[in-house]
Order: sequence, then structure tokens, then C-alpha cells
Amino acid sequence: MAPAAQAPVLGRRRRSPLPYTWQRGYLLASPALLVMLAILIYPLGYSFIMSFFRWDLSGSAPFIGTGNYTDELFGRQFNQALRNQTIFSVVSITIEVVAGMAIALLVNGKLRGMRLARTLLLVPPMIAPAVVGLNFRWLFNTQYGLVDALLRMFNLPDIPWLNHPAWALVSVIIADVWQNTPLMVLLFLAGLQSLPQEPLEAATVDGATPWQRFWHIVLPLMRPVIMIALMLRIIDTFRTFDVVWLMTQGGPGGATNLLTVYSYLLAFQAVDFGHAAAVSYIALGMSLFVLGLLYGVPWLVAKRRAI
Amino acid sequence: MSGSLSRRKFLAASAAVTAGSLAAPWVARADAQEITALLITGGPLYPKYWEKIVQDFTAKTGIKVRYDLLEFTPLTAKVVTLSAARSSQYDVYSTHTAQIDSYFNHFAPLNSYFSDSELADFYPVAVKYLRDPKTGNLAAIPRNMDARVQYYRSDIYQEKGLKPAETWEELVDVGLKLTGNGHYGLVVPGQGDPAQRTFSDLLWQAGGDWVDQANKPAFNSEAGIKALTFYRDLIQKHKIVPPDAVGYQWNENSTEFSSGTVYATFDWPGAFATLSNPETSRVVGKWSTAPYVRDKAAISCAISHAMALNGQSGRKEAAVEFIKYTVSTDAQRLQFDQFTNFPSSQSLAKEVIAAAKGPQAAWLQQLETTIANGKEWPKLAGFSKVCTLMFSAIEQALSDQASPADSLNQAATEAEDIMRRAGAYD
Repeated sequence: MAPAAQAPVLGRRRRSPLPYTWQRGYLLASPALLVMLAILIYPLGYSFIMSFFRWDLSGSAPFIGTGNYTDELFGRQFNQALRNQTIFSVVSITIEVVAGMAIALLVNGKLRGMRLARTLLLVPPMIAPAVVGLNFRWLFNTQYGLVDALLRMFNLPDIPWLNHPAWALVSVIIADVWQNTPLMVLLFLAGLQSLPQEPLEAATVDGATPWQRFWHIVLPLMRPVIMIALMLRIIDTFRTFDVVWLMTQGGPGGATNLLTVYSYLLAFQAVDFGHAAAVSYIALGMSLFVLGLLYGVPWLVAKRRAI
Repeated sequence: MSGSLSRRKFLAASAAVTAGSLAAPWVARADAQEITALLITGGPLYPKYWEKIVQDFTAKTGIKVRYDLLEFTPLTAKVVTLSAARSSQYDVYSTHTAQIDSYFNHFAPLNSYFSDSELADFYPVAVKYLRDPKTGNLAAIPRNMDARVQYYRSDIYQEKGLKPAETWEELVDVGLKLTGNGHYGLVVPGQGDPAQRTFSDLLWQAGGDWVDQANKPAFNSEAGIKALTFYRDLIQKHKIVPPDAVGYQWNENSTEFSSGTVYATFDWPGAFATLSNPETSRVVGKWSTAPYVRDKAAISCAISHAMALNGQSGRKEAAVEFIKYTVSTDAQRLQFDQFTNFPSSQSLAKEVIAAAKGPQAAWLQQLETTIANGKEWPKLAGFSKVCTLMFSAIEQALSDQASPADSLNQAATEAEDIMRRAGAYD
């Protein structure tokens, strides 16, 4: 026989399904959550809504569905920005990760002056991107810049760093690589120093070459660190603005227009917030898609292997 | 009585602080004798200028003005943001002809605050392009005129027996004779709004215009292609302009001349003061001015810095008092004395030209002629977005990524689409 249902006791408070400590936790965290909601979630949601409206300063803001998205996806300027963004992200991340790993392996050794080298590596990531952009703008100036002056010293031809479309993109990639490779080095160095030594020692005893040790032991063990580094850089390259804005403002002729720069121009030059919001959300979608691939594909492969 | 802070007391105090901070803007707004303004600055003299204007205005009217100063680009970005948010933080804005079409629905019309005779004293070109062409509403009132003339190195020109160029052909000839040994005969900007301004001048000089009678894009006409080809050739073919100019805006353009690297440029009125100051110029006493070059016509842009009334302002009467004061003869005269900013008032301009002597008199006369013949691009719906498109189209031609004809034809097709969607043909 089922037990009789317990009659509610009048005058007693209903017990919350959450333990008392949880309630207190939420209560204490609520001011911070409210602030987060107000300054992060609300603008995000608002700009997402904005991307479905013709939102300029003309007074009326009619709902146009996905009009801003389709305008941009089939637009010439957006596609140029997308192409630049892809080249910028792929090339700079590849160089930063490969060079970062190589330098980390080098400074991980017990060579003379490595302590100083590690300290110096902290400098570029500590400099504000705006300062980096301004410095590289001067370094790459054809008339007054140090780089072309050095080329001239060796009787080499000048390179039109910032005024030729292809070289301008190369220039902003160089600036980004200069600033962010040391960050990769530091991440990889931390990873290398926490690797277990036994497998490496065993491989050495078995006669493995340094390359074999790196490829078959170090790299697989470093995979989680590399994934974190890739994730950070993918997010960062899709947010890059300051360096490009100060070096080229997206020029010449949109040759260095990244999605952020294009979105800024739409919002503050064209005063077209609807399209600017749509571009921002496409960029966000793209970075989430790439991150999804980065984490999803290995997970799927592992799952298939397990089956 | 317990001295410790109870939970009830803490919550009550928090509520009071929150309520106080929320109510503060409304309490402040209740004071009708205080207005707020977002004003333009640029250089060390501007803060002192505005301080004096505000002090004099308060002494005269009793109305206090709380103001913030920003340089042109951040000021524009802030006005865009505040307008989008329909903010009433500022009653008065400094603004400019360049993007005025974006604010037609956000700045309160000033027509009713200025009589016809008052408006008649302002340069017609300034007033015309601050009006909404659809409604005729005056979105802002001009504070000083912006137009360009030719600045050239009189010492070098004299040494080489050259005269300042008057036509496009002469500009190339003179430039070729001056270019070499790390120096260039000319500098023009090649990026963003400055590139569009330069193309615009050349377009009008070649006999073209931005739109036709039906407001359809016409900048890809034969005249437009000729103008952009000439502009590109100055940099890429004749190489009389520094190659980095494709990335130059106004500051870089001015610096190339003031540093002595380049021997001629077309610059704004502010350059006269900058080039005369040993702290900002290496060519003091070595330069002179001449009219802008011409082709079929002698036209270049004539625009203005202006003052606008926020449509969301709750203190419009007091704000208009301040706006009127900033464009008054006294304020404009002070502006001319301090920064050599050319007055927007025709009567005052005539006075300062008459009183000027030597090179300054010639320069003022050249500016006056430019302004009298000057134009501005149309203030049609969607044209601000067309400008962004034009930046890219012009830069692509200047950096040899596309031919002038292809750049302009593509931009014209897209511009018509943008303006149609923005309601320019409704």
C-alpha cells in the first residue's frame, strides 16, 4: 500500500529544492550577476536584435528579417573583409604557433642567457596593441621607416609595406606575429616544463632521435596546451582592431579590412548600425564555428575510434 | 543603541544611494539655467577659446554651460553613439557638414530660431548643405568655413624659377621639376574621407558631379573617370607624390609639407597658423599661398564646422541662446584672431579681409573665392554609407588594385542600391 500523502503543515515555510548554502550563494552573487546582465548580456542581446532591423539614424527602424545578413554575405566589401580575415587568421596563427613552439623548445633548454630571453619575451604582449600599431606604421613608412632604410643600406629595393595591397596585409600580419608569438612561447614553455620526464627518458634510452621524441612524445602530450593556445588566438584574431586601425585603417582600398574594422566603418562612418551588428554576429558565428571544428572534430574521431 | 550596521540599515542605505544616483540627472535637469555641450577641440588653444566663450556667455545671459571637449574623429563617433541612443546628455553639439545627413532626424531644426536676415549673412554654400533637402530643415548653423587653397614653398619655387600651378597640367609639370633627392613636388591624401574630398574637388573641376538631376549616381561619368585617373597618376605614374600617400589622411598630408619634405599641398585654413608657428613647422617664412588648381572649372569643396541642437534636449531655448552666441560676430572674430579660422559670416569675412595685410590678405582673398565658388557632396538619404563605399573605391584605384573606370562603375551601381534602400528616391 502506498504511504498516505503527507498533509501540508500550515504556518511552515515551503522548503526550497536548493540547499540553504546554494540560496545564500546565489543571493551573494546576484549583484555581480545583475551587473553582468546589464553590461554584457543586455547589449549583446540588443545588438543581436538590432541586426534584424534597418537601424540607422533616420528615425524609423523597420524590421527587415535577415536582410542585413544577406546584404553583407553577398556584398563585395564584406567578402573582401572576410577574405582578409581568413588570410590574416590562418597565416598569423600558423606562424605564431609554429614559431612559438620552436622558440619554447629553444628557451626550455639549459643554455646561457635563457633567463633573460624568457624575461624579454614578456615585453611584446605587455605593450598596448595601439602602441604596436603606431610603431609598426612608422617602421614600415617607405620614406622615413627603419625597415626600408635598412634595405637601402644593403642596396635592396624599397618595399611598399603599407601602400601596396598585398604588402599591407603582410605588414599587419608581421605586427600581429611580433606581438603574439611571445605569448605562445610562454604558454608552450609552461606546458613543456610540466611534461612528465619518464617517457622522454625511456625514448632516449631506446635510441629515439630528438625529432622522434618531439613528434611522437612531446607533441601528443602538448596537445591540450596547443588547443588552448589555438583557441585563444582564434578568438583574438577575430577581435583584432587596434593594430590594423592604427597601421592602415583597413586600407589601401580595403586590402587590410578585417571584419572588426569593416564593422566599425559601417557603424561610425556609414552610421548603419543594423549592418554593423550583422557583420559582428557573422564574425562571432565564424569564430564559434572554427572553435567548434577545433574541439568537435577530434572528439568525433575519438568517439568513432572507441566504437 | 547598537553601533553595528544591521542588515536592515545596510539595505536602507543602499536603496537610498541607488535612488539618489538614479534621480540625480532629473534633479540636474530641473535647473533650466544650466546646459550641457559637447564641443570640438584641436590643439592647445581650443580649451582656452571655449573657456572664454562660455565665461562671456554666462556673464551675458546667466546661463551656465557644462561642456566636454573632443577632437573631430572621437567627437563624431560620440555624437553618432549618443544620437543612436537618443541621449539627452548634451543639449548642444559641435558638428560638421561632412556627415550632417546622418543627423537630420536627431538634431532639432534651427529654422525658427534664426530670421531670414540673420541666415542671409552666412555663406549660402554653408547654409545650403546643412539643410535637409527633403524638409528644408536647418540641422546646424555654420560656425566657421572650411575650404582649401594651395600652399607652396616660395623659396624653392623662386630658386628654380617656378610659379605655383594654376591648372592640372601645370601641377604635373611643376611637380616633376621639384621631385627628386628625397623631396616631392606635391602631397595629396589618399585614404578615407580626405581621399574622397580630393576626388570630389577633381570631379567638379573636370566638369562632373556626384549625382545627376534625378539624384542617381553620376560620379562614374567621363569627368569622374578623368578625375580619378589624374589623381591616381599623380601618385603612380608621375610619382610626384610620396608613395605612402595612399595611406595618408590630413595630418600626414600637412606634416609632409610642414616638415619640408614636400614642396606643395592643398590644405585647410588651420594650416596657415600651423605653418607660421616655429613649434609646428620647419618652413616658417618659406612658404606662400595660391588658389587651388583648376581644370574645366575652378571648384573645390566649401564646408563648415557648425553648431547643432540635440532634438532630445529639454532645455532648447537656453541651448539655442548658446548656439547663437557661438556664431555671433564676437565669437567668430575671436576664433579668427586665435586660429585664423575663416568666418562663416559674410559681413565679418569682408571686414577681416579688408583689415588683413601682406600674405594673409592674399590668402584670405583666395579662401573667399574658393568659398564663393565652393560645393559639397549631396546630403541625400544613404549618402554617408555611399561615402564609406567611395573610400574603398578611390583607394583601390589609387593603389592600382582596380582601374579608375572599374572602381567608379562598381561603386556607382552599389551606391544607387544603397540610396534606394535608404529612401533617397521615395
